[in-house]
Amino acid sequence: MSKTKIIIDYSKCGENGKVDPRDCHKCLEVCDPCVFLMHEALGYKEEDPYNPQHWRITPVWPSVCTRCFYCVKACPEKAIKISW
Amino acid sequence: MCDWCMKHGAGKKWYMNAKNYSDQLAKDLNLEDYLTEQWMNFETVFIRKIMGLSSIGLGYKLKMPIIGRVIRRVVEGMIHKEETKKRNPMRADGHFGQVIPLEDGKIILSELAAEPIIENYCMCRWMQRGKKEAVCINFGILSEIIEKLPRFIPKNRVVRIDREEAMQRLEEHNKKGYIASVWFQPVPYICAICSCESPECGGLRLRNNFDLNVVYKAEYIIQLDQDKCEGCKACVSMCQFSAIRYIPSIDRVIIDYDKCFGCGICRHACKNDALRLIPREEYPGFDGKY
Repeated sequence: MSKTKIIIDYSKCGENGKVDPRDCHKCLEVCDPCVFLMHEALGYKEEDPYNPQHWRITPVWPSVCTRCFYCVKACPEKAIKISW
Repeated sequence: MCDWCMKHGAGKKWYMNAKNYSDQLAKDLNLEDYLTEQWMNFETVFIRKIMGLSSIGLGYKLKMPIIGRVIRRVVEGMIHKEETKKRNPMRADGHFGQVIPLEDGKIILSELAAEPIIENYCMCRWMQRGKKEAVCINFGILSEIIEKLPRFIPKNRVVRIDREEAMQRLEEHNKKGYIASVWFQPVPYICAICSCESPECGGLRLRNNFDLNVVYKAEYIIQLDQDKCEGCKACVSMCQFSAIRYIPSIDRVIIDYDKCFGCGICRHACKNDALRLIPREEYPGFDGKY
């Protein structure tokens, strides 16, 4: 089976987009195999290092993706694309 | 007994050795700075590049010929790393654990765990499922470190709990269906009992999907009393590892011992007392298979 590519448009969701994944995270909830990881974005100098403010979602385990497209349907910003 | 029991168990199971919980050990290994650094950057551990490679798409990377085998060795070496000086807090160096049944968890919480004991949010579940649930019980110096990190701390609740309450909370989580696991962080210091679920748990993810030894199976394995089983299937829904299956023709469940982690969660669902845990070494085919 070919590799699954999951691409998130960070201009719509994440540290640069208008949606903070910590408020939305709908893709995490619908993904049965838990492909996505919500994490502190790298490369930011946080004002309060004990409580970081910049977060994004990365599809970290694409190999377990079942290609069900639930995340694509669930994303209110239409930021997720899946191809293979 | 597993390899880690031989090294750090002093003749017992590794997590039953009181020395591994002591503040003195944490001091000797200079863990306060190390763990502070590690927990401040906890959410970035899977994303950060290590030797040019991050964990993104690890499943595909491990399947590459030759390179995949090299990556496997590097990752396992990192997770099991014991040399204090070479450990890097930006990675999960020396952080691995083992599944334990509720009984062993209670012994740890009542006799061995160092004070203070806190219960904080499970970060795996937050990062992978977006759910904040206070199910991680931490002890000793790690408690004091996590208390300073607001994102891990449940609101409107007492965070520090006493031994009695910790045991009660662990039992609640266990009966709900979460697997109790005890963690080295970093080896040989033990500072947490988690109540995990698969696939949200970062450790169980690496073990179940990629066969990396981040979480070891328990020192126990389940035993089914076939005569007592009435085929109600209640235990099937409890197993996080799909190790139990109902077979209509014999009207009872069967157990896939290869998949059984020995967590004992299924026992809570059985009305007929048909399931019990036995030490792994009493089961000849599975002795030493952690």
